[in-house]
This record gives sequence, structure tokens and C-alpha cells, in this order.
Amino acid sequence: MIEIKNVSKWFGDFQVLKNINEVIRQNQTVVVCGPSGSGKSTLLRCINGLEPFQQGEIIVGGVKVNDPKTNIYKLRQKIGMVFQRFELYPHMTALQNITLAPIKVLKLSKKEAEERAMKLLERVGIPEKANEYPANLSGGQQQRVAIARALAMEPEYMLFDEPTSALDPEMIKEVLDVMIDLAKEGMTMLCVTHEMGFAREVADEILFMDYGQIVERGTYEEFFKNPKTERAKDFISHILH
Amino acid sequence: MRFAYEFDWSVLWRHPYGIWILKGLLVTIEVGLLAWIIALILGIFIGTLRITTWRWMRFLGTAYVELFRNIPFIVQLFFWFYAGPMLFGEKLAHQINRIPDLNFYVAIIGLGLYTASRVAEHVRAGFASISRDQYQAVLSTGMTQVQMYRYVIIPYALRIIIPPLTTEFLTIFKNSSVAMTIGLAELTFQSYRIDAVTFHGLEATTGAMFIYLFLGLSVVKFMGLIEKKYKIKGMVGR
Ligand SMILES: Nc1ncnc2c1ncn2[C@@H]1O[C@H](COP(=O)(O)OP(=O)(O)O)[C@@H](O)[C@H]1O
Ligand SMILES: [Mg+2]
Repeated sequence: MIEIKNVSKWFGDFQVLKNINEVIRQNQTVVVCGPSGSGKSTLLRCINGLEPFQQGEIIVGGVKVNDPKTNIYKLRQKIGMVFQRFELYPHMTALQNITLAPIKVLKLSKKEAEERAMKLLERVGIPEKANEYPANLSGGQQQRVAIARALAMEPEYMLFDEPTSALDPEMIKEVLDVMIDLAKEGMTMLCVTHEMGFAREVADEILFMDYGQIVERGTYEEFFKNPKTERAKDFISHILH
Repeated sequence: MRFAYEFDWSVLWRHPYGIWILKGLLVTIEVGLLAWIIALILGIFIGTLRITTWRWMRFLGTAYVELFRNIPFIVQLFFWFYAGPMLFGEKLAHQINRIPDLNFYVAIIGLGLYTASRVAEHVRAGFASISRDQYQAVLSTGMTQVQMYRYVIIPYALRIIIPPLTTEFLTIFKNSSVAMTIGLAELTFQSYRIDAVTFHGLEATTGAMFIYLFLGLSVVKFMGLIEKKYKIKGMVGR
């Protein structure tokens, strides 16, 4: 379970998160949407301690993120993260990208880590790319390697930050399919995405953020059929064209 | 009375001058290589200090770079040679000053410390060209800061900065000639020495020139091989 309680964050004078409250239960998928600059990425990075915040608390699986006594490195092992621009390590093959953390952090043997990595590459549908370097992979393939890299730590939670928004349209589906499978297998996920097909299929809840606040929340039906605020209506009409 | 200069290229190989030149070349190579090792290790370390999240470490890194790159190398060398031993206290200084070939060690250390400040700047530029998300992606897998630099950021940054590092590696051999001012018998020193004895400085200097050129070209070739081996696969001309 991820509990976000009264979280506020400032960059200097600028308040980027305003009293955020949210609970993501085990096995749930929550989708976050909202205009650019509304604080979605920042919220995600607060959850795994990549960004500090000044007020409130976040508790992941019973462990308080913003407690100086928390071993944040240990906690991050349980929280996988996927980025908009994949962020693979360019000087390493797909396989090396996936095995690095299991070897260095979990202290798996190279062989164990590679077996685990190959299983994951099969799961995301590109075992034949194991020895390719990122620059030789398409965007969709890179993102699937990035998902495999995160899963290799066997996390309990996954954070996705606009995983398909840097992809060509024909590659979006291959990445979403992997995410849908994950959600259906019971991964606890927080996904920043504007892919409403994905949201309809797997989201237990949709959050709409604007100017650092969650201004609307509900199921897919509630959000799309009955948006309460003008901002949400506006936003929905934009993403649906 | 003769006015025409009579060339005598044999001063480049005739006994004992050939040996002098060879010895000089050897010293130049030794000083350059050993200083380069110091410069690389220290430069990577200082460059990394400058972007860590620890404020004091950053300050230390910045202070180092600004100190060493803003003072002419020849002044630094004089300082280490004449004042350096005193830094260890008067008693030790006496002993240090008696070390045979002190100027050899001072040249290596001085050149290494100076070049480290330049390497550190390139390393920092390499780090800066890596996106914030790339750093965060590494940390998100549970790696510590040290692991992040050790396994991802430094290897990646070094590959990006191979071209400027090639230039520094070249420069270190050229700068080693400054050490003749503290009496180090490196290549340039030896060519002057031949001139003093034979009055054939023109030949001796020309010879030294070509040897430096050859040394430089070897470095370029070597770094080219390194670049080919470590080039990030699939990336075109980065
Ligand atoms: N490191 C930072 N320093 C200062 N301002 C930042 C920083 N990161 C993000 N911001 C600002 O915070 C706001 C929210 O950013 P972000 O969380 O990336 O929004 P979103 O992901 O919803 O587009 C933006 O106005 C952005 O400019
Ligand atoms: Mg964002």
C-alpha cells in the first residue's frame, strides 16, 4: 500500500504539490493525468524519495519515505520506476542494463541475474534483443527493456512516468500491452499517462492533477462521463480531440 | 672564414648524443605516463566531487580546479620544487631535498596535479551532459550514489569525453618539457644539452621536434583504438 498524506512541496517559492492525499491499495492501478507542469512527475519522485518534500508523509508498504532513519536505497528496491525517455544505460546491452542492479544490489550471481533477465525479456516479448545496445533498439523496444530492468528487482510497486509519450504511435501498444499484463497480474501501479484506453482497461482510480493539486478523482466512468470541474472537462476534450 | 652553416645530423645518433636523446625520450615518456595516471584518477575523483549532493565535497572540488587551472603550470612546478618540501616541515624538508632525482618526482606529481584539474573539468562537462532522469533511473533501481557513479555515470561520461581527454593526454607530453626548468633531463633538456656541447642546436631541436610529433601521433592512434573499442555501440559520431 502506498499512503500519501497531506504532502506539500516547494521548489523555492514555487509550490509544486499542494496538500496531496491518496491511498493506493495493494494490487491496484491508479492513473494520474493532468496538464504539463501540474506536478505529476514530482509526485512520483516523492514516492521513491528521489525528490524531498517539506510537508506531510508518504508511507510505502509500512515504511515512511521521508524519515531520515529509513534506508531509502532498500526501499527503492521495492519500487520500480519507468521514465518517459527510457533512460537505459547507453554503454550497456539490454541484458547488462537489466542485470546490473540485481548483481550489484541484490548480489545475485551473474548467471542467476541473466536467467532472470532472459525470463523478463521473454515476458516483454524481445528475448532476441538481449545483446543489442539501446541505440540499436526502437523506442518501444527500449521502453520494454526499461520495464524489464525495473522488474528485475522484483519490486512490489511500479511507478510509470508517461511511459508512452515519447513513442511513435505504432509502438505505444506494445508497451501498453506489457503494462496491462502487469496490472492484471496484480502489480500495484501508479501510472502517469494520458492513454485513456489503458485507463479504461485497468485503472481502479483516475486522479486529475492541476497546479499541484488533485482536483478530481474517480473511476474511469466517473471521470470521463461526469467530470465535475471545468479544468477536467477542458482537459478531457483536449485529449479526446 | 666560413659563413655557411654546415649541417651535421649525426649529432642525433653519434655517441654519446644518441644515448642522451634516447634517455631524454624515456624520461619524457615516463613523466608523461605516470603524470597521466595521477591526472586521470584524481581528475575523475575531483570531477565527481563537483556534482555530488554534498556541499562540502563540491566546494573542495571547485576550489581544487580553480586553484590549479588559474596558476601557470611553470609557477606551480617551481612552487612544488622549491617550496613543496617545506610543506612537510623543516626537518623532513631536508631529507626530501636529498632524494636523488627529486625533480623527476616533482615533475610527475606537479604535472599530474595540474592536469587533474583539467581532466576534472572535462569529467564534469561529461556528467552535465547526462540527463537528470538518467541519474534518477539508476537510483530508482536501489543503487547507492557510489554505485551509480561507479557502474553507470562514470563509464558513460568517460566514453562521451574521449576526444577532449585525447587532447589532454597529448598536452601532458608537451607540458613535460617545462620540467627542464627544474633541471629534469627530459627530451627538450637533452636537445639543449647537445646544442651546448656541439653547437648543432638546429639539428638537435629539429630531431626533438620530430620525436614529439611521433609521440603525439602515437597517442592519437592509441586513443583512436580506445575510442573504437569503447564507442557507445550504435551511436554515430558522438
Ligand atoms: N528541479 C526543479 N526545480 C525547480 N522547478 C521544478 C523542478 N522540477 C520541476 N519543476 C517545476 O515544477 C512543476 C511541476 O513539474 P512536473 O512535476 O515535472 O510536472 P508534470 O510532470 O506534471 O509535467 C513545473 O512547473 C516545473 O517547472
Ligand atoms: Mg512529467
